[in-house]
Amino acid sequence: MLLLLLLQASQSTPQWTERWVGTLAAWVALGFLGLIGVAILYNVFTGRIDLSGLISEPTGDASMSRFQLLVFTFVIAASLFLIIASAAPPAFPKDIPSGILVLLGISSSSYLVSKGIQQSSPEGLSGRGPQVTIKTDRSETTFGGPSVQCQAEVLGLSDTTVTWAIDPIDFGEIDDNGKYTPPKSGQPTTVTVTATSKQDVGVSDKETIKVS
Amino acid sequence: MPFDQIIWFVKLEVLVFLGGLAAIIAHRLLTGQINTNYLLWGTKEDGTKYFSPERVQLLVFTLGTAMFYLNSVMQNRTSGVLPDVSTETLALLGGSHAVYLGGKAYMMLFKRNGKGE
Repeated sequence: MLLLLLLQASQSTPQWTERWVGTLAAWVALGFLGLIGVAILYNVFTGRIDLSGLISEPTGDASMSRFQLLVFTFVIAASLFLIIASAAPPAFPKDIPSGILVLLGISSSSYLVSKGIQQSSPEGLSGRGPQVTIKTDRSETTFGGPSVQCQAEVLGLSDTTVTWAIDPIDFGEIDDNGKYTPPKSGQPTTVTVTATSKQDVGVSDKETIKVS
Repeated sequence: MPFDQIIWFVKLEVLVFLGGLAAIIAHRLLTGQINTNYLLWGTKEDGTKYFSPERVQLLVFTLGTAMFYLNSVMQNRTSGVLPDVSTETLALLGGSHAVYLGGKAYMMLFKRNGKGE
């Protein structure tokens, strides 16, 4: 059928043939591009193209430099489409203003410099691995004085609970919630509080409290 | 005119692709399917995290500039030319990025956790 149409076209006037072939080529190109677009959208929608790490660093944390690049890319693309589609007849702008190029340059170079900074720091490229960090509401207390509330922040582990311990072991008490109660009397001592992850006993943090 | 149909189809194709992609990304950002953990947090040289004001200001300037420009495009969309970005806006955006990068470089390359470990 297509061959017959092409044969018919070739036997017609040259001007008509040129227009007919041009129209056919345009539809084929549009169909091809449309199929690619639909395939990309379908795979994104079904999760075969994974976007979960679209603005994430290798460490798994989200990145502002990636996010701003994403925003500006979409804004300029959408703006270009609006300008082209709104003109009658639709037409590509004769020139791109230098301000747009500078804006995209700032956005992209900021992203690149940000990656460079990360390359210069080992923490920027590799994951931190699990870690426990102790925070206390005070670093000193007195015999029989106020208790010290310790909190443990656990990163990189699914179980965020910790076990608490003090050294010297009999110098006051610490409960399961990290609340340290100093002894009633004794010699001034620096107590070391340790929080150890229940999931991974190799991950812990220490903090000192002066008791005087 | 067949070319009218082609033009209509091109518009539809681009609109569906850009609009669809933007809608999917926006939905996943809002629902957390695209990871946004620690978007406004930085990392020190020793790997500890801190809340980062320089990232907050960059977020504000980015969204502000984007909305300002889109508004400008909507008002001049029939002109056939992309509206320019003013020098003042570019200077503000450049300054915002400089603050972000300066803060990131300082904290990531020079600043350690103050616990002396």
